[in-house]
Amino acid sequence: MIEVEHLSKVYGSTTAIQDLSFRVEPGEILGLLGPNGAGKTTTMRILSGYLPATSGTARIAGYEVHEDPMAVRQRIGYLPETPPLYPDMTVEGFLNFVARLKGVGPGDRPKQVTSALDRCNLLEKRHVLIRKLSKGFRQRVGIAQAIVHDPPAIILDEPTVGLDPLQIIEVRNLIKSLAGSHTVILSTHILPEVSMTCSRVAIINQGHVVTTGTLEELMVQLTGGNSYELEVAGSAAVVQQQLQQLPEIQRIEFSPSKTAPHSPNQTIAREQMEPASPVAAGSSRLKLRIIPHSEVDIAPEIAATLVNAGLRLYELRRVRASLEDVFLELTTEERAPDVIETAGGAA
Amino acid sequence: MGVMRNIVAIYRKELQSYFASPLAYIIAGAFWFLAGLFFVVILQTGIQQVSAFDLQGQQPVDLPSLIQQNFLQVMSSLALVILPILSMGLYAEERKRGTLELLATSPITNWAVAVGKLLGVLTFFITLVLPLLVYEAIAFDAANPPAPPWVLLVGHGGLILLAAAVLSLGLFMSSLTESSILAAILTFALVLLLWIIDLIGQNLGGPVGAAFNHLSLLKHYTNLSQGIVDTSSLVLFASYIFLGLYLTAQSIDILRFQRS
Repeated sequence: MIEVEHLSKVYGSTTAIQDLSFRVEPGEILGLLGPNGAGKTTTMRILSGYLPATSGTARIAGYEVHEDPMAVRQRIGYLPETPPLYPDMTVEGFLNFVARLKGVGPGDRPKQVTSALDRCNLLEKRHVLIRKLSKGFRQRVGIAQAIVHDPPAIILDEPTVGLDPLQIIEVRNLIKSLAGSHTVILSTHILPEVSMTCSRVAIINQGHVVTTGTLEELMVQLTGGNSYELEVAGSAAVVQQQLQQLPEIQRIEFSPSKTAPHSPNQTIAREQMEPASPVAAGSSRLKLRIIPHSEVDIAPEIAATLVNAGLRLYELRRVRASLEDVFLELTTEERAPDVIETAGGAA
Repeated sequence: MGVMRNIVAIYRKELQSYFASPLAYIIAGAFWFLAGLFFVVILQTGIQQVSAFDLQGQQPVDLPSLIQQNFLQVMSSLALVILPILSMGLYAEERKRGTLELLATSPITNWAVAVGKLLGVLTFFITLVLPLLVYEAIAFDAANPPAPPWVLLVGHGGLILLAAAVLSLGLFMSSLTESSILAAILTFALVLLLWIIDLIGQNLGGPVGAAFNHLSLLKHYTNLSQGIVDTSSLVLFASYIFLGLYLTAQSIDILRFQRS
């Protein structure tokens, strides 16, 4: 439905996007995820035909945005970063105007406008001036103007930015309801938004597509699916040495900040709660993270190894990589310094 | 077909915006008040002049056309002050509110938007002028012999053509900036330029003066206000209108290439 190939955009001396390629299949919701300034808005504007690309092609429903701009414009609904609204129009008057602009025939217009109002929960505000609406309602009018002509492709640039949590949930549900009958591409820098609304995600950073895929694919691809968080009493060297016996472990990360006692109060509290524990006062308690090679669950092996070595295991937890981790891992260029590769045998 | 529907869509939106705009009511009120005041003053001065001529036993003068010419001259000056205010927000507001992005991503050409907007603001100006025709018609009908109505119509047609040309250039000025005030100032500057062209044309002899005379919108307007219809005047007005629309469409197109 939407095919972007080798798209680049250069503003003067700065390159906003470079060699961007991705596809959106009919009926799916693609999330364009990236930090601020990654080139999301530029991409959206090129897709909508508002900006010309420096090089590369973008096709929507088979039409190239530069060669057939009118054909593309008829087939897209576009919500820019700031919703384009006329404050002195009523909600219904504005949607009527947009429907007329987009070429909806006079016979279909009332039906289409009412259906857009209904989908965006705006029916009770239809006669209100846009000037008098709250930000959340304005955003909904913005989405309504993007869907009023029932376009096959919908482009939403940061659709939930600046809304309160309740409004965000409403807008996300609305976007989800568009899937199937419409192809949606939305941009965001908010991670949970992608996991809650999108079927696929393209992560872009500094104008490049870092990766695309379904959320599950991305997580598997990155971290082998899961990792383990442990809390063990003992010295780092001993723990490291013991765990190295397990071939399934890819690497071990220690989080040193959490092992030191935080304040006298906390230490006292811990002692009161766990008086039997000889290491409760804590300087030798370690928190660590184990990333395995494969998807095979090695929790029992880890536990057995540590216990057999006489170490006291306080916590062992299996965690799935959150999208947040995926995002950080993809867009930060340098790794955290306190990672110890087991293969290197640093300790 | 599709283009017409697009133009009508923009046109209707523009007209609706005047009903919601307090500025439109203020301009209309001020325009009608000043126009009425000037008309009464010009009418009374004219009548006093005529009675003075009668007392001296001189040849009778064509009072209605004299009054009409004077009145239309004043009206054009008044219009030239008001028109930049009418045109200032046409594109500047769209740019400021981000709605230009909606228009630019809808299946509608820059030309259709510009034409729709110009027709909208021109319709508003025509509604300002129409009531003047009523009291002029009443006054001139009382003259003996009654003034021919076509002179009246040609004169006001000239006023509307002048307005269309200035509004079209104002439309272009408005497309250059996000600030309505700046657009108004730029259009005022352009109006001053029109006056200067007219002055040079009047005071400079020879071929250069003739060229300026020919380019002067105000000169051609004066001809029309005297009931002189010349094809070259009509072509000139049409050229100015086309120039404004063309520059507007181009400037909106170029906007897409700039960094936003």
